[in-house]
Amino acid sequence: MKLLTFILAGGKGERLYPLTRDRAKPAVPFGGIYRIIDFTLSNCINSGIRRIYVLTQYKSMSLTRHINLGWNIFNTILNEYINVIPAQQRIDESWYKGTADAIYQNFYILEKENPDLVLILAGDHVYKMDYRGFINFHIQNRADLTVAAIEKEKEASSRFGVIEVDKDFRMVGFQEKVKKPKTIPLKPDKILASMGIYIFNTETLVKQLIKNIKDSSSDHDFGKNIIPSIFKKNRVFVYNFLDKNRKLGKYWEDVGTIDAYYQANMDLIAVNPIFDLYDPGWPINTYHTPSPPARTVFNEPRRIGTVLNSLLSNGCIVSGAKIIRSIMSPNVRIHSYTQVEDSIIMDRVDIGRNVVIKKAIIDKEIRIPPGITIGLDHDKDRKLFTKTESGIVVVPRGFKFE
Amino acid sequence: MKKNDFTILIADDDEDIRLLYQIELIEEGYNVFLAKNGKEVLEIIQKSLPDLVILDINMPVMNGLEALGRIVSSDKKIPVILNTAYSSYKGSFLSWAAEKYVIKSSDLKELKDAIKKIFDKKREKE
Repeated sequence: MKLLTFILAGGKGERLYPLTRDRAKPAVPFGGIYRIIDFTLSNCINSGIRRIYVLTQYKSMSLTRHINLGWNIFNTILNEYINVIPAQQRIDESWYKGTADAIYQNFYILEKENPDLVLILAGDHVYKMDYRGFINFHIQNRADLTVAAIEKEKEASSRFGVIEVDKDFRMVGFQEKVKKPKTIPLKPDKILASMGIYIFNTETLVKQLIKNIKDSSSDHDFGKNIIPSIFKKNRVFVYNFLDKNRKLGKYWEDVGTIDAYYQANMDLIAVNPIFDLYDPGWPINTYHTPSPPARTVFNEPRRIGTVLNSLLSNGCIVSGAKIIRSIMSPNVRIHSYTQVEDSIIMDRVDIGRNVVIKKAIIDKEIRIPPGITIGLDHDKDRKLFTKTESGIVVVPRGFKFE
Repeated sequence: MKKNDFTILIADDDEDIRLLYQIELIEEGYNVFLAKNGKEVLEIIQKSLPDLVILDINMPVMNGLEALGRIVSSDKKIPVILNTAYSSYKGSFLSWAAEKYVIKSSDLKELKDAIKKIFDKKREKE
């Protein structure tokens, strides 16, 4: 069976603003050295998938550059490739109207490749998944469409599209963000939440896309329009996501909001992280320029370079400063008598002396002058920066301190 | 001559075919507009709304499949018949978006039947 994979990487990520002001959501840095799309791409590689189209549109430069530099690992002689395709307006003069429209506008790729099966993935989720199990499940069930879903607590149903299944995991219902959801057979406290990951037989996909595109009242979205409308007349199955992350519990994060993004990063630095970056059986590839080893300097009274419960990337110099429960991207400089706590510091940030930073996200290349405080004064933070309800401060890219 | 209120837009780059179709379809009582390629079709449907578009596929400037793709993804709901000398375009997924795929032949019977079927269906709905 010939498989073709599309990764949808055109999401604006509006709720991640200002991190998405200059980059698409899949290109947002994550966990020190990664971009969000690295997790989906690594899943592909670790699942033996080597023919990938990444569909981009908004603010795609940073994403395209990252993929070209970091993921140029395919062997074209063996017909392996990763092709980054910007929105080309070949059959429509607008941006992609929705996820389904993104595939419709790239029909020519389907025609050229003529696959039996089409795997559709999102480029903005953090999880580990072996897609081979998903694909085999689809084939064994002789399904027209298979949707991947994750078990969630019943109480969380208002945040998800909830799929109802029969005992064979054939889809029999769909509810969008409801309070009283249908639970999983034999698991009355759990629901199946759609992960926005699909595998289609090509013929089913083409027919549904054409039907959908002709309906101008539609949002042209797989999750909203196509999936709920086809399970009655087609063989639609639901794949209960098996986590390759070898920890307890299943891990899949949409990182759709600043709060979710912050929390997913902080999950990485727990003593026993629920999302494990250190599993040699599931390597996660990325791109970064070669940097010297991270280091700490000074060991004098009141001036000890200290890093506790944190991720420290290459090229960082912690010079007489104290870092607690934080994530440091490559080439960050932190000068003496400064304290950084519960924060995410992105590449090449320079933090001067006597600075205090608490519960903040500092975007790339910001220079923080000596004596500044961030995350301590609610009113000042709100005036200058983005601050979420839960109190996370974001210092956006390009911000200049006076 | 029969009288018919429906308007058909015909796109073909071959002038003889355009003329032939025009004569035959006016004979059937339809109003007929003509276009030389897909781009002209899109320009015409910006301004007026035909009840049906008949598209040749192999045309310069913009081919019939591309025009079809743009018509179905626009908010104008106009049925399209693909009318080509080749059956090979049936392999194109975009061709599935047409109401009907009719191979060109010297007698226009199949095309006329397809047109009639589409308008009968439309009348039923109304």
